[in-house]
Amino acid sequence: MPKLVIEDLHLRYGSVEVLKGIDARFEEGSVVCLLGRSGSGKTTLLRSIAGLEEPSHGAICIDGRAVFDAGAKVNLPPERRDLGFVFQSYALWPHRTVFENVAYGLRLRGTDKAGIGTKVQAALDGVGLGALGERYPSQLSGGQQQRVAIARALVYEPPVILLDEPLSNLDAKLREEARIWIRALIKRLGITAVFVTHDQSEALAIADQIVLLDGGRLIQSGTPEELYERPATLFASEFMGTNNTLSVAVAERRAGRARVTLGQHSLWGTDRAESGTAKGDAKGVIRIEAVRLVDGAGENRVPVEYETSIYLGNQFEHLFRCGGQSLRVLSHQRVGPGTHWVECPPDKLWVF
Amino acid sequence: MPRAFRIAVVLITALLILGPVGLVVYQSFLSGPFFQPNSTLTTQAYEFVLFEEEDFREAFVNSAIIAVGMTAIAVPLGCMMAFLLVRTDLPGKRFIEPLVLVPMFVSSVVLAFGFVVALGPVGLVSLWVKSFTGSIPWYLYSKTSLILIAGLTHVPHVFLYASSALRSLGSDVEEAARSAGAGPLRVAMTVSLPMIMPSILYASVLVFFLGFELFGLPLVLGDPERILVLATYLYKLTNKLGTPSYDLMAVVVVSIIFVTLPLVYTQRKLLAAASRYVAVKGKASAQRPLAIGAWRWPALGLIVAWLGVTVVIPVTALVLRSFLASWGEGVGIWENLTTAHFRELMDYPNLVRGIVNTLLIATVGGALSVGFYALVNLALHRWRSRWTAVLDYLVLVPRAMPGLIAGLAMFWLFLFTPVLQPFRQTLFSLWLAYTLVWLAYGMRLVSASLLQIGPELEEAGRVSGARPAQVSRDITLPLIKAGLIGSWVLIFVTFVREYSTGVYLLSPGTEVIGSLLVSLWGTGAVDLVTALSTVNLALILVGLGLMFALGNKRHA
Repeated sequence: MPKLVIEDLHLRYGSVEVLKGIDARFEEGSVVCLLGRSGSGKTTLLRSIAGLEEPSHGAICIDGRAVFDAGAKVNLPPERRDLGFVFQSYALWPHRTVFENVAYGLRLRGTDKAGIGTKVQAALDGVGLGALGERYPSQLSGGQQQRVAIARALVYEPPVILLDEPLSNLDAKLREEARIWIRALIKRLGITAVFVTHDQSEALAIADQIVLLDGGRLIQSGTPEELYERPATLFASEFMGTNNTLSVAVAERRAGRARVTLGQHSLWGTDRAESGTAKGDAKGVIRIEAVRLVDGAGENRVPVEYETSIYLGNQFEHLFRCGGQSLRVLSHQRVGPGTHWVECPPDKLWVF
Repeated sequence: MPRAFRIAVVLITALLILGPVGLVVYQSFLSGPFFQPNSTLTTQAYEFVLFEEEDFREAFVNSAIIAVGMTAIAVPLGCMMAFLLVRTDLPGKRFIEPLVLVPMFVSSVVLAFGFVVALGPVGLVSLWVKSFTGSIPWYLYSKTSLILIAGLTHVPHVFLYASSALRSLGSDVEEAARSAGAGPLRVAMTVSLPMIMPSILYASVLVFFLGFELFGLPLVLGDPERILVLATYLYKLTNKLGTPSYDLMAVVVVSIIFVTLPLVYTQRKLLAAASRYVAVKGKASAQRPLAIGAWRWPALGLIVAWLGVTVVIPVTALVLRSFLASWGEGVGIWENLTTAHFRELMDYPNLVRGIVNTLLIATVGGALSVGFYALVNLALHRWRSRWTAVLDYLVLVPRAMPGLIAGLAMFWLFLFTPVLQPFRQTLFSLWLAYTLVWLAYGMRLVSASLLQIGPELEEAGRVSGARPAQVSRDITLPLIKAGLIGSWVLIFVTFVREYSTGVYLLSPGTEVIGSLLVSLWGTGAVDLVTALSTVNLALILVGLGLMFALGNKRHA
């Protein structure tokens, strides 16, 4: 049975509809990422799950229990949903010590004093801050504050923990470390986590399931591999990874394949259009690492003119021109001015 | 906060506000006192006051003239001083700035006594000047003097708003004008002051509106020449006809509220406009004071002269007079120094009670009021509901009621309501009136602290499992503790200074220094009045000291 079920959720602020009907189910013990640009509704969806926003329509069930159901007029207040929530700003209470911040949820649940002591210590040890219980939040670094916020949300063992861009206030190095230990911590505790981010590489690294949102609608939901390898729409394909997006003309469609023309050249790609047989202008998307620099002409290859290169350290990124459009290619070789050939494998070139 | 609790708080506050006002409006349409069963509904009181009563018309015209005159004095002076003290390299501005606000913290009736003692026909300064020139070159009891003094004492109100707006202005706009070739005066007139126009406009309406509410200054300074304004007319009405004429008083009160309520409403709109104006501009860059060169000395001279006339001379003379056995032409200061008047104060049980009551109402009462303001604020806190808008507008009503009027309305309410009657002659009635009069001010003090709490701190409490009431208790209140203490100190000073609210509620047991001063002044007991005023000033000084100790610099 799914841990968390969201059914046809709508939410509006005045005349603006922020969520336009979201349906999703999250499995027990999985880490789910709500991914999208700012304004996509991802944080609003998270806050609706927590009970901090009131949707106008739809239902939210946790463990089969409806915490929100507009039809049945059920709307449990946040404190009765028994969730953990980690805020983007961490929202640590400045007038309480680290220990007291973490202990508050236990005190509200009537845990006895000894129990509070051991559980808080365990939670702080779990995030590597065992010795800092007597400090005030203002005496901690950003990374430490974030760990306290996570310990505070986990200490009373909620079945679901919600995290609102918890890594966005950390610097790049800390952020990469945090991805790893947060995922490891959640997996060790076996709880379900819903994680909001606008950073696709963060989502790929941390999630078991990614829910891609745009403009208040769910675009695609699936494993990181599914989203990266088999994006359902042009938006999904462009949102993930680094891409070459080419304006092409569809010449023919056959058995899931589409032949497109790029300038005077013809290429086979995978047909991803929803409407089937239409011909004419389309978009071809190929991840920059899928384009291969090759020696000469051949199947699904096009000649390109060298424009410039940048050195990335582990490889080069070359910029070519092809029929008035630019094409980025990764390669370990240095190349010089002139005409070169590149290959676009048909299964990696998606035609929308 | 549970919804039912929020609504209950809103309703109780609405009752507290509308009860007294409603009673006054009701009374204004009755033929006799509201507690007499044979009173009937009529508009005869309105006809009499508005069309037949010469004194009322005169008082109304006087109020209008004074309000216009003092606005014309206070606004330019206040803006100029704000510019000089905030934006220029004026010498000694760090010491002068806190002093500028002193007239706001001294009750205007005390300041008025100070002017009489210093500059009146036999004033300390007047006689000193007379010893050189043979005559006194001014006359304190004229309408012109009244307008001038009212204008000078209201400079701080303008200064407060203009200076805070100027502080949020980046100095780059001024530097740009300087490098384009503008002198300091031109910079002030064409760049800095126009940019803070909404704040200046707001302060102008405020001063104009305070002009209509003026009570202490005209009571003391207007009396010898019988210059009546609306508030003093209301005060004299009791004595004028021999018997208390409830219906006429009610009509006067309604007329005053009729003038002040639109002004308060305008102010509210202007305040919203002013904050928008500031918000558009974005962040202020680092401020560098504008060098004004040789202009510094005349500018400093202007401010020192204002301080001298408005604060130093009246306050010093008042305190000095309270230590003099007697005063008149040919009396020396040094051989007459005495503390007898202060010992004399102790001989009057009502005066002693007045001092004790003032302390009680300012400390305990002030704390309770802040508690009440906090409760109302918490009830409205993060509540998306029409109820909050209702209370927002209701709060304007007590703002439009000068203390004298609120005191009168409260007095009637305690006479009228059977359950409240036993409390009429207790400090409770006075406390309720004080709390009502300063409701808008106190609400703003508390909400300023509440606004600084990020919503996610409270949301974090909710998701951790705390009910709304627990969030208020465990998170919101501890976070605004420092703000509440600061508010309490400001309310302490405000309650010590207050003199008009207690005037009608004055009875054995409810004496406070302010209302005693008003009634003592009528008996001509100058020795006692100056001594009691000095006690009042000393209490205010304690409050201001506390404020500085807490580092609290927030005012209105």
